[in-house]
Amino acid sequence: MSEVIIERDRPGQPHKGKVLAAIHAHMDDVPLFAGGLCAKLIAEGYTGYLIRTSNDEMRGGGSPAENILSNEQDHFRVAKALGFKEVFDFCYRNHCMNDISAIDLRGRLILLFRLLKVDTVVSFNPWGHFEENPDHWVTGRAVEEACWMSGVETNCHEHLEAGIRPHSVSERWFFAARDTQPWNRVVDISLYIEKKVDGITECKSQGGGNDGSKLRARLANQGKRLPLLGDSDATADRAYVREFLLDPWREAGKEHGLACAERFWYINHRPPAKTRVQEYVERHAVPL
Amino acid sequence: MKRRKFLAASVLTGVGVNAATAQTGTRAARPESRSSDLPRGITPSAFSNRSSGYSQFTVPDYYTYTDDLRVERNRPGKPHKGKVLAAIQAHSDDVPLYCAGTVAKLIDEGYTGYLIRLSNDEAAGKTLGHGVVQNEIDNREVARALGCKQAFTFYYRNHRMDDIAAVEIRARLIFLYRLLQVDTILAMDPYNHYEENPDHLVAARAAEAACWMAAGDKDYPEHYRAGLKPTYVREKYYHARSPNGHNLVNRVVDISSYIDTKVRANVANRGKGPAGAAGSRLRHELAAQRKRLPLLGDSDDSADFNYVKHFLMDDWRTLGQRFGVGYAEAFRYIGPEPGYDANIRKYVDANVVPL
Repeated sequence: MSEVIIERDRPGQPHKGKVLAAIHAHMDDVPLFAGGLCAKLIAEGYTGYLIRTSNDEMRGGGSPAENILSNEQDHFRVAKALGFKEVFDFCYRNHCMNDISAIDLRGRLILLFRLLKVDTVVSFNPWGHFEENPDHWVTGRAVEEACWMSGVETNCHEHLEAGIRPHSVSERWFFAARDTQPWNRVVDISLYIEKKVDGITECKSQGGGNDGSKLRARLANQGKRLPLLGDSDATADRAYVREFLLDPWREAGKEHGLACAERFWYINHRPPAKTRVQEYVERHAVPL
Repeated sequence: MKRRKFLAASVLTGVGVNAATAQTGTRAARPESRSSDLPRGITPSAFSNRSSGYSQFTVPDYYTYTDDLRVERNRPGKPHKGKVLAAIQAHSDDVPLYCAGTVAKLIDEGYTGYLIRLSNDEAAGKTLGHGVVQNEIDNREVARALGCKQAFTFYYRNHRMDDIAAVEIRARLIFLYRLLQVDTILAMDPYNHYEENPDHLVAARAAEAACWMAAGDKDYPEHYRAGLKPTYVREKYYHARSPNGHNLVNRVVDISSYIDTKVRANVANRGKGPAGAAGSRLRHELAAQRKRLPLLGDSDDSADFNYVKHFLMDDWRTLGQRFGVGYAEAFRYIGPEPGYDANIRKYVDANVVPL
């Protein structure tokens, strides 16, 4: 594993003018794995877009149809809580994404990366070992491929006819979604804990966002209450998330003296200001 | 017997016959007069096409004609002005061979035309690379010959299109239909029986499915975010493919005025197919034997043109003669849907009574 770098807060709006796309398979992936990073990057100037690839029909406590609707609604609220400008839903069938066409998914991402002029993506590590959810690695692979192919004008060249120019993605933040998956960057999200809580709390259909209110209701039926949960479902949900669901990220921060941190495999493909050839020419070129 | 009369009537009434036509039309309506072991009392349901024997890439073996068949003739002026057509082909020679006359006619009548090729045609050429390049050039030249505004190519691997994702090719066609605001397509018949080339079927199915999905707001909504608009492809001309084919035909298009354009489109197709430079090659071959064929004229250009027109268009001429026109192409045509809602409203307006 390469050296781990701590990504700390950056004052001002150093990313102003840049575009971030967070691509997840399921409504609760980004809030859980990268809610703090996304909130941080958006606060530092990025314009953010949230792209969900599955329809989440398997989660939500209702029929598959009801789950699709409730997750769709949750997804809008998650995006708003984390500061994303816009939401895109591809709605491939949940848990079945290894049966879809990889190039169809990739083609749609290429269109969005070009259209939105995405500079940076946040998504699943396409090579993360022991990833047992096919939707995760299918999404990660498509994202990784689309990042560079979106810059090649001969891929989906009909986009050019619509005025959509090639645009490759320079930076990639891949989740460390499982303990077994690697990371080379630890992001200090201490200032964004509440934003992460906001995001997770909106994950009612899955992800534990309403576990607090459910616990509060259960205790009330037993004639009890938990002071931690406060006096409403809203306070209960937020308190529950903050107290019980953030442990992995508090643990990740503790190693580095941070209150809370998220881990990523970070890849930077930003081109250097000058290529080695340019530098060489500048140093060695002589008059004719 | 009733069925036999019915088919005969359909062919004859569809063409506005004159004496000469009646003769050919009568022949067409009486397949039993040709060599057949069909016992009496059994009504044929398909008509075998006559072939000149000059080319296998012309009309298919059989057509089944519908009782509402129409002959589409020239329309004066520009009745299609403002409309857009997409001619979709798997290979660079499909549209030129099978529907170039109709494409040229519709464009002449006002359509803006686009030519979309789906494969890379790598299987036709001196080497794979040469084949890809030559056919790419050909696709552009065919588009130019037909008067298309632009040519597109998707470059799927030739003869392997049954291995690609149907939804991906469909998605790209939906994108183009929406971008170009396509009203009408011309494509291979997706139900062309005994079609042995997988590229044809894959291309046709994708073209067909994309037609109605291009109008939906839930299919690929990101296209709308990119500024594209939905479009509903209302007219489809599905052409047959030969050899072997068996197609349902309800539209015969008189391409007599456009046969030379069709010839030029086929001459432009040099990388594959029976046309291209076949005439000049034959001319040179004969010259090497100190012979010449007057039909081919005095130049390579005239040789290419005349070769295609004489040998490769002959079956289109024969088909045309059957319907009383000089040259014809045949289609399964699907037109605009009726105004269902308007029809119900009309009924309501006519029959509504006070409470």
